[in-house]
Amino acid sequence: MHEDDSGVTKKRTLQLPSMSVPLSSHEMGEVELSCLAYAKMYLHASQFPRCSVNGLLLSSSAAGGAVCITDCVPLLHTHLSLAPITQLALTQVDVWCSQTQQRIVGYYQANACASDSSPTPCALKIAEKIFEQCNNAVLLMIDGEKMFPGCRVPPIVMYERKDARWALKDKHTIMLRQWEETCSIVNQLFSSGDQALLVDFDSHLDDITKDWTNQKLNAKIMELVSPANGNV
Amino acid sequence: MSSISELYDVTWEEMRDKLRKWREENFRNSEQIVDVGEELINEHASKLGDDIWIIYEQVMIAALDCSRDDLAWSCLQELKRQFPDSHRVKRLAGMRLEALERYEDANKLYDSILQDDPTNTAARKRKISILRAQGKSSEAIRELNEYLEQFVGDQEAWHELSELYINEHDYAKAAFCLEELMMTNPHNHLYCEQYGEVKYTQGGLENLELARKYFAQALKLNNRNMRALFGLYMSASHVAASPKVSAKVKKDNVKYAAWAASQISRAYQMAGRGKKENKCSVKAVEEMLESMQITMS
Repeated sequence: MHEDDSGVTKKRTLQLPSMSVPLSSHEMGEVELSCLAYAKMYLHASQFPRCSVNGLLLSSSAAGGAVCITDCVPLLHTHLSLAPITQLALTQVDVWCSQTQQRIVGYYQANACASDSSPTPCALKIAEKIFEQCNNAVLLMIDGEKMFPGCRVPPIVMYERKDARWALKDKHTIMLRQWEETCSIVNQLFSSGDQALLVDFDSHLDDITKDWTNQKLNAKIMELVSPANGNV
Repeated sequence: MSSISELYDVTWEEMRDKLRKWREENFRNSEQIVDVGEELINEHASKLGDDIWIIYEQVMIAALDCSRDDLAWSCLQELKRQFPDSHRVKRLAGMRLEALERYEDANKLYDSILQDDPTNTAARKRKISILRAQGKSSEAIRELNEYLEQFVGDQEAWHELSELYINEHDYAKAAFCLEELMMTNPHNHLYCEQYGEVKYTQGGLENLELARKYFAQALKLNNRNMRALFGLYMSASHVAASPKVSAKVKKDNVKYAAWAASQISRAYQMAGRGKKENKCSVKAVEEMLESMQITMS
């Protein structure tokens, strides 16, 4: 994050300093990933290092234009490819979204085998379902190999629907606002032990008094997000 | 940084007993085991008597899980010193090599154990785990099948195989493994429920009815299994909604679904009592049940 002379902080993009790619065709849609969504995905993958985990990406902004991923719901860490619980979770998240003016705009997954971050058939299937309702849906794979402290690159690989298949998205169209701040917030969550607050849908089914919408954790994260920069 | 005993106000005996409990129940809470075990070893080794060896083993494995190679190495050294020719210790050395991703070296170690003792199941299972870690699912499946031909009673292996098949979307074979497990563990509600999930995933009217029966069985064994409850609700609803069923079957399944829905409702009402943060999940379930009822009638 850097400030220009006017004292306004600029958001950092994943752009390499020497290149500037013009946002040409409308197919190359921009995707913005909020600190809240990123933090919870990261925490989810960290909470179950030996399992594949997945979840849904949500947006509270209106359809059209750039896709702003403002939140996520961590879903499963067991039996990702079995139907009943996945269907149940999708239905419940759908209902919750309509109650809270959010939309499901994507899907994320982290594979148990950290060295392989390619989308599994299960990931493609669910992403396809989401695409039926949202035509600029994204499929996000978490790259386990980049999840070490001090890694300067976001451990994320994004896919979008192009020509009837899921294609790798141009890194330059993916924006993580305030990347360094996001990293520091994630670190703070780990050092305060708050990362243990994260509840996914699987854990909720083990104990239904646990809240899969993660209200408590959301509040903690938003507290840490610097208020001066407005909404993340 | 204060010690565990200070932080939680526990004695070394309580720490030792906790470790035993975790060992006996096969918990994989590795960070806790490392915290408690490391302190026990460092501060109270002399008091532990012969227990110390099994604690070294337990802490070593937990240390590998937490990338604490320093701790794993020192535990291993103590064990090697005490049991110089032990296969059990050799296997631990192999696990350390696995943790360091030195799979070839680990395999050599396990092969040398097997040369000495071809019936050593632990070494064979570690070799299969290596295949899994390397992403070689089909080879892992093949080896595990061969293993099970010889050691047909190994529950852990059957369950591992069912997981591998589920990952590979081979639901028929996963169902077979779960059938083996249910036969030998008829009181285990988790196997029934997993079997129901596999059948549901396979789809089709017959499988949905089977799924419903197994979800019901899981609930008989444990009426708090929420996955089984939801599974029963969903499978009964789908059967009732199918155009291929007779009026009687439809009526029966509507009844089952309604029962499940009321149980779900009740469970969520109880869970939501007094807890503000649960209101979201309670509301979501209520609406879902309502909307599904509308499509069924």
